[in-house]
Amino acid sequence: MASGPLETYSPSQTLERRHQQQKRKSFNEIDWARSDGRNFHQCRPAYLRTGATSSASGSAYAEFGSTKVIVSVFGPRESKKAMMYSDVGRLNCNVSYTTFSTSTRGQGSDNKDFSSMLQKALEGAIILETFPKTTVDIFALVLESAGGDLPIIISCASLALADAGIMMYDLVSAVSLSCFGKNLVIDPTSEEEACQDGSLMIAYMPIRNEVTQFTLTGEWSTAKINEAMELCLEACSKLSNILRSCLKENVLGFTD
Amino acid sequence: MVGLSAGEKQFMHGGIAQDLRSDGRQRLQFRPISIQTGVIPQANGSARVTLGTTVVIASIKAELGKPAPLRPDKGKVVIFIDCSPTAGPMFEGRGGEELSSELSVGLQRCLLGGKSGAGAGIDLSSLVLAEGKICWDLYIDGLVISSDGNLLDALAAAIKVALSNTGIPKVSVIVEASAEDQLEVNVSDEEFLQFDTSGVPVIVTLTKVGRHYIADATSEEESQMSSAVSVSVNRHGRVCGLTKRGGAGLDPSVMLDMISVAKHASENLIAVLDSEIAAAEAAEDDGS
Amino acid sequence: MEYVSSLTGFRFDGRRPNEMRQIRGEIGVLAKADGSALFEMGNTKVIAAVFGPREVQNKSQQIDNQALVRCEYSMANFSTGDRARKPKGDRNIISYSADHGSKYINTFDASFSGKNLKQIDIFLQVLQADGGTRSACINAATLALADAGIPMRDIVTSCSAGYLCSTPLLDLNYVEDSAGGPDVTVGLLVKMDKMTLLQMDAKLPAEIFTDVMQLAIEGCKAIASYIREVLLENTKTLECMRGS
Repeated sequence: MASGPLETYSPSQTLERRHQQQKRKSFNEIDWARSDGRNFHQCRPAYLRTGATSSASGSAYAEFGSTKVIVSVFGPRESKKAMMYSDVGRLNCNVSYTTFSTSTRGQGSDNKDFSSMLQKALEGAIILETFPKTTVDIFALVLESAGGDLPIIISCASLALADAGIMMYDLVSAVSLSCFGKNLVIDPTSEEEACQDGSLMIAYMPIRNEVTQFTLTGEWSTAKINEAMELCLEACSKLSNILRSCLKENVLGFTD
Repeated sequence: MVGLSAGEKQFMHGGIAQDLRSDGRQRLQFRPISIQTGVIPQANGSARVTLGTTVVIASIKAELGKPAPLRPDKGKVVIFIDCSPTAGPMFEGRGGEELSSELSVGLQRCLLGGKSGAGAGIDLSSLVLAEGKICWDLYIDGLVISSDGNLLDALAAAIKVALSNTGIPKVSVIVEASAEDQLEVNVSDEEFLQFDTSGVPVIVTLTKVGRHYIADATSEEESQMSSAVSVSVNRHGRVCGLTKRGGAGLDPSVMLDMISVAKHASENLIAVLDSEIAAAEAAEDDGS
Repeated sequence: MEYVSSLTGFRFDGRRPNEMRQIRGEIGVLAKADGSALFEMGNTKVIAAVFGPREVQNKSQQIDNQALVRCEYSMANFSTGDRARKPKGDRNIISYSADHGSKYINTFDASFSGKNLKQIDIFLQVLQADGGTRSACINAATLALADAGIPMRDIVTSCSAGYLCSTPLLDLNYVEDSAGGPDVTVGLLVKMDKMTLLQMDAKLPAEIFTDVMQLAIEGCKAIASYIREVLLENTKTLECMRGS
């Protein structure tokens, strides 16, 4: 058994597993307390700042609970020569994780799925016609991963794009939601994500009233989708206001 | 990429607005679908699905493996999709990788359910032979042979048909109390167990062209899409997964409308697939 | 191991030593390709698609007075008995495909009158591998090229032969192929009686090698007559459809 973990050497593994199983049991109950004391429809407090890196055209830092993300935007710059001519701008997104982002030391790898999801979530919001033949690079780095990574990356990236002065129809804010039996839990932590029965993620432009990205896993009835979407859209609208006030603060800071 | 002239675009948009598409179909009508099972004898189950001129093959292989430590009571399912260059020169070399991974992720989302395994199309607990020790690892491979739009729906249909065609060898586990990790298994050559495929969903992709949405878009129609929503629906009318494609935003109410339309369209698709599966099974029985 | 029964003289799968597996060719299996074909040799199953002649995509590869023929070979994950663990970027396959490509360039270097249409792409997709994939690929490509209407000097066919249990064996299947004995693959321009491919990677006395090669050549000829039949049949149906 070379591949599997040696159980005799690591008691913590079995402990952890027992812990996990207990936790899973508790999630099946109708009511339980979330580990960070929130109620089901309460999001984590958001801390957002623009201008996290100075060399980039625009950047933003986001901290939701212990999930920490930094996004830098470069460009618009001339598209690579090998690319075909395009009369609209291009987006190039890259999401990567640091080696210390998770509790077990990881590889610090790129996440291709997230990269393409980020691109699709933002594409609809950016006025690509304003910068033909050019490319905007968006690099997202997850410093610490503690659940809801993708929605936080999306929100943070739209803030960074605004900071870079890229023309957008609206700010994109994104919120995810987990489903446990009958319960809908908004803004799940990674512990909750690992045991969820289903998930839903929405990226939304509140002013345009348009959904730019929507994913759903697990089995859902229409009524539940309705309820979940309502919850998420409301949270997105509120998050969008926070993003906006963060941008305003930034501008006020300049004038002072 | 499909290049269309301004006239062709106009024609297509006009046709869709009048509920009569270039190939004579209505907006929510699928192209003729035909299936063939057992095309890869070396696999445990396989199927070829032809949807108009889109051709895909799905193969199911089962191998004995060990359950993940955190999920001792669940088997594992791996979905991998490949786009063959025979479908078009753009898939040459690494050209197909982006689309392949997009399709793989989309299918995983629709078939594997939530993280806890709830709502999965395939009952993962049924793959376990001895809890925490031995389980079946199910490898689902999809291959796109010819591409003319709506690959995701065709692949999901092919996987559904292939799973219904899959026979997994009956395994008896000889329990030995002394050696904990070393279980002896007896894999039967003669007895095969069929899968319960009633829960496997189908995917219906609605492509938005102009103000209307159409089912089963051809690649010409896909080149004109503003956005598309792929909804996977099971037999009970429950939504099992959803992916939005294309950059343009959608109004939330439009989105909900698309979900209910897709649900309705899925009923027809499931019925067509069921009758095709029965016909293919009968044909295979006759052949052997 | 006894690959040829000493009692009956039959092979594992019940064939005689000089007997080929059942072959089947089908033209026009893909709607989107300019030419396509499916070719089966026993359980080995290959799809070939031809795109072009079209504009050369990479101008630096352009050759004057000659068409650029490119070839890519890929194996489906489910094509072999054991599922391939590594789905992509297998070095073996890349070298294999380069190998193939160069072979085709030598075979089909037809020059075209159209000045800008100088690239032909051949894509081979192995659906099932049960020995003799290379031969099946070449045969499938020939059919697909003919379907695409590419002018060829002659049709190329390929067949392999091996030598096990002191008997030359035609058209090895996977079990016989993996026995480690010599395996001679021949590609032949049948009418011109010219060889385009000859490959062997084992030790074999010269006189026996000639016998084995001769057997493979006979195999090529048999396949060629079958392919000709398929093409003729196809032409007849096309004629029927035109209604002349």
